Formats: sequence, C-alpha cells, structure tokens
Amino acid sequence: MSRTERQNPRLPGGFSLPPFEVHQALALVIVSIALWGLGLLWLAMVSGEQWINTWQRDIRFHVYVNESSADIDTLRERLKSIPGVNGVRQVEQGEAARWVEQWLGDTGLDHAELAGALPLSLEILPLEDAPEHLFGDIRDEAERIGAKVNEDEAFLANAHTWLSELRAYLAMITGLIAFAIAVIISNTLRMTLLARQDEVHLMRLMGAHEGFVRLPFILEGVVIGMVAGLVAWLLTLPLVVALDSWLVSASIHIHAVTILPECIGLGLMVGLTGSLIATARIVSPEEV
Amino acid sequence: MISLQQTMVRYPRGKVALAGINLELHDGGFYYLVGESGAGKSTLLKAIYGGVRPTSGAMMVQDVDLRSASRRKIRSLRRRIGIVFQDHRLLFSRTVYENVALPLRVQGWKPDRLKARVGKVLEFVGLEDRMWSYPEALSGGEQQRVAIARAMSAKPSIILADEPTGNLDVATACRMLDYLVDLNRQGATVIMATHDMHLLQHHPANVVRLHGGALVEDGLADRSVEHDEVHPEAFSHE
Repeated sequence: MSRTERQNPRLPGGFSLPPFEVHQALALVIVSIALWGLGLLWLAMVSGEQWINTWQRDIRFHVYVNESSADIDTLRERLKSIPGVNGVRQVEQGEAARWVEQWLGDTGLDHAELAGALPLSLEILPLEDAPEHLFGDIRDEAERIGAKVNEDEAFLANAHTWLSELRAYLAMITGLIAFAIAVIISNTLRMTLLARQDEVHLMRLMGAHEGFVRLPFILEGVVIGMVAGLVAWLLTLPLVVALDSWLVSASIHIHAVTILPECIGLGLMVGLTGSLIATARIVSPEEV
Repeated sequence: MISLQQTMVRYPRGKVALAGINLELHDGGFYYLVGESGAGKSTLLKAIYGGVRPTSGAMMVQDVDLRSASRRKIRSLRRRIGIVFQDHRLLFSRTVYENVALPLRVQGWKPDRLKARVGKVLEFVGLEDRMWSYPEALSGGEQQRVAIARAMSAKPSIILADEPTGNLDVATACRMLDYLVDLNRQGATVIMATHDMHLLQHHPANVVRLHGGALVEDGLADRSVEHDEVHPEAFSHE
C-alpha cells in the first residue's frame, strides 16, 4: 500500500467515490459519444436557425401577371390592403431581366428580348410580424385575376415553421437519448452496487443513514455524467474551431465556451437521473 | 438492559424461530447463547440489533421497543451495538484499517480521531502491525481478531457475537474469548452464541439455552452448571 493511501485511506460511504473500474470507463466512453452526437445535432440546429434568420427578414413575395396594366393597378391596390403587407412595388421588366441575367450568368441573351418575354411582376414587402396566412391571402388575390405567385418564396418564408417542427423532433430525440444515457449510467451503478452490496449491508448494520450509504453511488453517476459532458465538449471543440471562418462567412456565430455549461449541465442531469434510478431501491438483508 | 416478554419471531414463510421467550439480560453482563443449530440463537441476536422484528410479545433493547421502533431509532440502536459474525464478514477489497474504521466512519468520526482509535483497537487485538494489510493476507484467527476490533471500535455498549469461534482451533478460540471477556470487563454487555462448550469452562458466565426457538428452563441450566460450570442466572422465570 502506498504512503499516500496510508495518509488518506479510502473509506466507504458519504462523499467518498467508489474506485474507478473498467465498467465505469466503458460507461464514460459510451455516454461521452452519445452526448457528443447530441451536441453536434443541436449545433447543426442552432447554426441552421441562425443562417435562416440572416435571409428570412429580406424575403419578398412576387406575383406574376400576364394581363393588362389596368389589372396590375387593381391588384396592387388590393394587395396593399391585405393586413401584414408593408408595401407593394411594381418591378420593371428591365430590372427583372437584369436580375435573371445576373442569376443565369453570361448567357448571351438579348436584354430587350428577355425583358419582353418576362411577365409583369409585383414585389410585396411583408411586415416583420406578418400573420402566418399572409401568403395565402396574397395568393387568393392574385388568383382572382389569373396572376401567379412564386410558391418557392412561400416555402422559404415558412422556413422558421418547419425549423421549429424540426426543433421539436430534436427535443424529443434528445429526451429519448438522454433517458437511454440515464439507463446506461443506472446499469453501471447497479453493477457497482452489486459489487459493493456487502459494504452496503455492513454499513446498514452499523446504523448508517440511507443518505450516507447512497451518496457515493449518486456522486459516481453525477461524476460520470459531468465528465462525459466535458469530454463531449472537448470532442466538439476542434470541429467548431475548424469551421469557425466558414460559419462566420454564413453569419453563424457559435462560441465554443458558451456551449460548455450546456454539455456539462446535460451530463449532470442524465448522471443524476441514472443514479437516482439505480439507488431508488437498494435491498439488503436484515433491513428494517 | 435487554428485556423480552413472550417474544415471538415468525419468519415470512411461517417458521417460528423464537416462541414466547421471557428473558432479561442486564447491562454489563456476559451471556452465552447455547443450543443446537436452528434453536434460535442467531434469530435472537438479529432481533436484538433490529435485523428482524418480533411478531408478537414485547422486546426492549436499551429502552428501544423493537416492535414499534422507527428506522431512525433502529439506526441509532445499531450504532450502540458491535457485531462479530462467524464468517467475520470482512471487506476483502479494503485494508484492515478501512474495515476497522467503518463503524467510526458511519458515525461521522473526524479522520484524525478515527486514525488514533483504529490504532488503539488494533493494538488491543495485537494487529497494529497489520493495519495496512488486506484481510486475505491474514490467517483465520487474525481475520476474526479484525472482526472483533471492528465490533469494538465505536465503543459499543453491547457486543453480539454469533459463533465467532466456529471456524477456529481451540487455542485460537480461547484467545478470541479472552478479547470478548476483556471488553466485558471494560463495561460492554457481551452476548455470544456458541456451540463450543469448552469455552464455557474456559470462562464461566451466564448461559441462555435455547431449544427449538424456546427458552429451556427445565434443568438444562443446572446441567450446564454441573457439566460446564456456568451460572444460570440469566433466566428470567415467569
């Protein structure tokens, strides 16, 4: 026995962690990888939300009209009166042709011919707090005079809706994975408890409080969870650093330090849950 | 004081382990619990430390009514009792020091006091030089001495020994008994279940004889006096 061990002997119970063995190391690896995977999914989610926020504010709806200019004026007035519309502007055909040319690249098309072929279009600027059904109202008005709306713009405008659905699914997946991690930690602790049941029994025979008996196992679960959270963060760190310039160019700002408390917090939560499940009932003979 | 009045213990499967026992064990006494296997010796010891609850009758241990005592009271009682088992129940993954310190740790002793106390009790059983050994490195007798040291470390007022000499040779068993007698002289009530009748000759004391879960009162105590030279005053007659 080493001198250090003699000076600070390892006594069971209370704030004394059970010795770290192979099964705890295995649990730590599994929990770290699971938390890392969850962390990556949430980072992707947050990045996606930030990226969509950068362009969603600038979305304009376009209505294409193939009828006479008189209909355009009527339609413009009707569109202006829809709640949630901030303004309506008629896009000149020349401007539309320039945009198409810019988008297609150097096609060698005749500008005037292209402008003539394009439909008349109205550009609608929505209010920031426009209602969900705004695009539907615009479509109804447009279809009344046979005009068409750009459906792709509606899809992009509603990106936040399907993103929030995605977030809800991710939260559900996180809950399921967190529960699975808690079960893994709980099973690991059950193994420790099984290996130490004589110790637990003896402590109870000596009049130990239940808190004193259970605390080491609860601490073990919390420590496994928190260390796994830290490992998950350390695994994420190089990725965030490597992608930083690319993310910044897409106006996405992920600060590695700010996700550390979340990683450790989630680890603590699953560790505590797992240890509470494991220690909910520790049966000993001669327990009164 | 340990007092039993018409105490009965029935296990969940229906076996009656103790049947209507009337007994008074006084503080500071040394008592042998004798009887054949299954006589109820271990059950009586278990009942004293709250390991099983009496099914009927009354049982008081140091003013704790064991039939109705709360868990908190049982825990408190257990802190005043030291137990020595036949199979000693040492923790083999822990050193002698850690084994002996366990009751003190449970009672929240500070490390500096704890170290001094462990040193002292190990000195008492002559194992101070084995403090940092693991139990597997010790002989059977030494292991049982560690168990005695563990039982006495928290200065309990009652020491229960459940056939502590069962696996030991005669000389070692007598030495074990000497330790228990010493503890008794220091004021602890010692109740020792045993099959070794020669121990009763080595150190005569009060005898509680059980048979089939009942206290034997029909002259067996007198026979003990004749053959084993012990004193039967432990019996409390109705």
